[in-house]
Amino acid sequence: MSYEKQMMLLKKQLKKAKDVARPTFKRPIPPPYVAAWEKAGLTAYTNDFGTYFLREVYYDKSMIHGHFTLAEYFTAKQKIQEAQVIHPLVSDQELVFFDTETTGLKGVGTQIFLMGELHEEEEGFRLKQYVQADPAHEAAMLFATSMWRESTPIVTYNGKSFDWPQLETRFTLHRQQLPPLKKRAHIDLLHTTRRLWKKDMTSMKLTTIEEDKLGFTRDNDIPGFLAPIIYADAVRSGVPDQLMAVLQHNEWDLLSLITLYTQSVYLVLEEAKDNVITHTNVGKWYADLKDHERSQAILQRVTTNTAYQDTYDAYFYLAWQYKKNKQPQQAYEAFQQALPQLAEVQQLQAYEELAKLSEHTYKDYEKALEYCNEAIQCIMMSTRLKNPTRANKLVAWQKRQRRLGTKIAQQTKIN
Amino acid sequence: MLANKTIAMLLQEWQQDATMQARIAYQQTLPAVPAKYAAFPPELHASLRHALTMRGIERLYTHQREAFDLAMAGQSFTAITPTASGKSYCYHLPVLQTILHNDKARALYLFPTKALAQDQMNDLSALIEAMEVPILSYTYDGDTAPGLRTKVRQAGHIVMTNPDMLHTGILPHHTKWVSLFENLAFIVIDELHTYKGVFGSHVAHVIRRLLRICRYYGSTPTIICTSATIKNPKQLAETLTATPHQLIANSGAPVGKKTFIFYNPPLVNPAFGVRRSAVLEASHVAKQLYTAGIQTIIFAKSRVRVEMIVTYLQELTKRKIQDESIKGYRGGYLPSERRIIEKGLRDGSIQTVVSTNALELGVDIGQLQACIMTGYPGTIASAWQQAGRAGRRQSEALIIYVAQSTALDQYIIENPAFLLGQAPEEARIYPENMMILMDHLKCAAFELPFMTTDSYGGYDIQDLLAYLAEQGVLFKTSDQWHWMSDRFPAHDISLRSASQENVIIIDKTIPASTTVIGEMDRHSAMTLLHEEAIYLHQGIQYQVEELDWEEKKAYVREVDVDYYTDANLAVEMKVLDEDRSTQWQGNAIGYGDVGLVAQATIFKKIRFNTHDNIGSGPIHLPPDEMHTSATWLSFMSFNEWNEEELTDAMTGAAYAMSAFIPIFIQCDSNDIAVVPQVKATHSEMPTFFIYDKYPGGIGLSEKVYDIWPRLIEKTYQHVAHCACDAGCPSCIGAQETFINAKANVKTLLKKLQQVAQADEAGHDEI
Repeated sequence: MSYEKQMMLLKKQLKKAKDVARPTFKRPIPPPYVAAWEKAGLTAYTNDFGTYFLREVYYDKSMIHGHFTLAEYFTAKQKIQEAQVIHPLVSDQELVFFDTETTGLKGVGTQIFLMGELHEEEEGFRLKQYVQADPAHEAAMLFATSMWRESTPIVTYNGKSFDWPQLETRFTLHRQQLPPLKKRAHIDLLHTTRRLWKKDMTSMKLTTIEEDKLGFTRDNDIPGFLAPIIYADAVRSGVPDQLMAVLQHNEWDLLSLITLYTQSVYLVLEEAKDNVITHTNVGKWYADLKDHERSQAILQRVTTNTAYQDTYDAYFYLAWQYKKNKQPQQAYEAFQQALPQLAEVQQLQAYEELAKLSEHTYKDYEKALEYCNEAIQCIMMSTRLKNPTRANKLVAWQKRQRRLGTKIAQQTKIN
Repeated sequence: MLANKTIAMLLQEWQQDATMQARIAYQQTLPAVPAKYAAFPPELHASLRHALTMRGIERLYTHQREAFDLAMAGQSFTAITPTASGKSYCYHLPVLQTILHNDKARALYLFPTKALAQDQMNDLSALIEAMEVPILSYTYDGDTAPGLRTKVRQAGHIVMTNPDMLHTGILPHHTKWVSLFENLAFIVIDELHTYKGVFGSHVAHVIRRLLRICRYYGSTPTIICTSATIKNPKQLAETLTATPHQLIANSGAPVGKKTFIFYNPPLVNPAFGVRRSAVLEASHVAKQLYTAGIQTIIFAKSRVRVEMIVTYLQELTKRKIQDESIKGYRGGYLPSERRIIEKGLRDGSIQTVVSTNALELGVDIGQLQACIMTGYPGTIASAWQQAGRAGRRQSEALIIYVAQSTALDQYIIENPAFLLGQAPEEARIYPENMMILMDHLKCAAFELPFMTTDSYGGYDIQDLLAYLAEQGVLFKTSDQWHWMSDRFPAHDISLRSASQENVIIIDKTIPASTTVIGEMDRHSAMTLLHEEAIYLHQGIQYQVEELDWEEKKAYVREVDVDYYTDANLAVEMKVLDEDRSTQWQGNAIGYGDVGLVAQATIFKKIRFNTHDNIGSGPIHLPPDEMHTSATWLSFMSFNEWNEEELTDAMTGAAYAMSAFIPIFIQCDSNDIAVVPQVKATHSEMPTFFIYDKYPGGIGLSEKVYDIWPRLIEKTYQHVAHCACDAGCPSCIGAQETFINAKANVKTLLKKLQQVAQADEAGHDEI
């Protein structure tokens, strides 16, 4: 039967009705499949707001996940704390690793059905996975978690734009029943990962990072986009088998965050080796954190220890550090070194700096004009620049060109 | 050199002018109405009083005061606000007054389009600036910068948006708007009259969802609507908002003297009923107004016609360098361009502006002295809105209606009372449409779980929720229905159409940057978007180059041609269910659900104005099935006619009828269709079907069920009075071969008239 035909049938049954007041919150009854889910490895608990399931796992420090044992996380965290750097990875508090699985991508109709927390303990880590018993028991799960109770920092992967706003939405929706969610410090490892491996990795998917950078490969992992369907199926059928695979997926995500944190710290502290792009990124990162001394030192090491053809970007960022430190000669040379192979925007910046240094510091107007002409050439040939940016840039450079022309003419007259 | 004549002087001249007199079919002057004032409300906040005084306002019009008092008493109301009556004060004053006393209070303004919201935003900002108080007002739409959105959600006292944004961008994310929904004191719906038909029916549900969210957060906002003059503002507002409204019907704003002229272009082909092009005649009249120095606005139906008139008029100024006194004004102008034209009109440097109907909608260009309508704009309400553009406060205005050759236009020339003597049409919405109801039920379920005791929009919806659960969209727990799908339903539902399966219209005029310019429901697309069809969008002509029926995409390219296309649709009707019916002597009128199978067969290219058929071609599309509402009239066949004669007479009568349906029910001619069937399947009798062209129906044909006698009577009179000999585009359609066509149509209509009257005279509904 077509959709339209079904609609016509439903229309026949449509009856008028009066609005009734919304009943106050009543604790929902436990779902019929509690026993089946417990058999699969979950434990059912009840609080004022209903039923939730919990899966707990303890990992000893000695466990290996990817390149590292969990113990090395504690070492790394200690080291960066002692390194006297200002860096987003530094924390002197216990960290909680946090990851959710949801029934959709956005909006109030999207529920969180699984909340995974990984807590530091004396000799290892404890995983707590809270599972929503069914959509009516959402408040019970939210209340059971540590999310609203504690205020230590959380560590996530893309949690700043996804997991946390989702959690806020859920707490707002249940604000009549639940205590408010407090603001917490938040280390989003997606952001730090982008910092580290920009231009190196094309995909920042956690599983890709695991395979390429963390030495971990998953076996029989379910793809994340199937999670909503699996959960819907689990509450409809009461059969939890596939759901346990989603828990496994979530567990891997959380464990990898520990390894990712460890590896990131070692790279930032130059205690781990990666390719030249990554080390250049680390140098640039310190510059953006205003730690210019460390940035300069790292970039200098990159340019000294690596073959020249891999260091154009490093020279480019290094040049800015020299400029900042009022070392015009070094800045000039570094910009020159960087020139042969830069992205268009950066190339134009380099030309500008070189033209400025030539004109104002060295009073070499001919040389400045040369850079100026090359920049104009570059803008003319560009396929990426769009108007009005292109036109504005051109106007600015042509103005410089005219000024330099005048200066050269005056110089010739004097001589 | 321009002579500065007054309207009175010009009218006097025309009285002496024999040619003019031959063309003026009717002339009537409506007297001036003085302003009615009321004092500022005593409690009006000092800063508001100050801002108004700064603008030279020392007292209010009576309707503004009435609005203020009702709003402050928490009573929802609808105000009829003609152009230039200061309608925005009807809502700004109570809203600002409330916020001044309670900094937490919030207001949500809804405008039918983004452009109107942005226009009003500027106006409101100026007022708030003059008040010198920190009240925050923002527009929230697709253009709002991401960085600003959080601020708007949390701190905006007044948020101006459109129904589409409310539907997809605000309601499904209501938890981010807690401070708005908890404290919402006012919902303002401007341009109420635009919420009609399918769009209005959708918006009715968006409002129901909005109010449902407000209840959840504990707020009970007062609703303020403003509307142009329509027949049923209170009923429309109450249906749209599901809230009782008070009506403020009497505007206190002054109205100047208005003279209406009904101008009929001369016949160039009496036998075929063809008159001289209305575009040329309108230009001719506009020229006289231009030379007389009278500021004029000319309305034309399409962008092409606007261009034609502008080109023609600019002949007048071509010898002057950089003369800007004649301007075109079409849809799609940037705000900055509009400001320039507005300024030009105010300072007098622009004297004549030619506009598409786009300008009808709220955009404020100030008031002019004269208005010329090129053809009937389709509804009485639109005609009055266009006419309202002429007439500065207190001063005299001239409104000239230039008729086209079409049936409706000529009818109006014959019956000026149709325009001047009766109230404008009803604007009707039909939130009961099952397709639309179901769409929004999904959105509502996404926004908040339904309880097993809940109703929605006044209906018991538990069966519908059970159906959605069966479809795997909802999940039922002990006492709630939860959304259980990874879809985001609002994204799948467009407010501007009834069926979900729409054909996307893609403009590929510039191959490198193709853009989506619109969408159309599947059923209409068969006859309007077939290959080679001329598709009009905001007055611009496009030709359909490719219709990908599988993918539901139509690729179009902008063209400039002097014809439109008209497709034939072969329709088979099946009565599924009879809800209402009357019968007598074997004849029957009915209303109910129908299934129709439609197949587009051929299309014709028809030249503007002359209606010449200048080409045709086949359409290759699969048949389309649709379920909708229809009314039908079955009658006993005439024994003396053979099937061919009956077919031709019924086709002619259907043509004439379809032109007149918009007279009785406010709708676009594309909303409804008339189909003659010589032998209908359900009754085996000759039958006229009139059906809603939207899946599920939108309540139009049900209205027609009640007015069959009047519809047939009007149609008969018009056909009988038409000056042509044997049928023309103004009455029963151009005839090619059949000589007796017009006579037979008349005979048929005459008989139907008796049939229908007999029905009215005393046959009980069964």
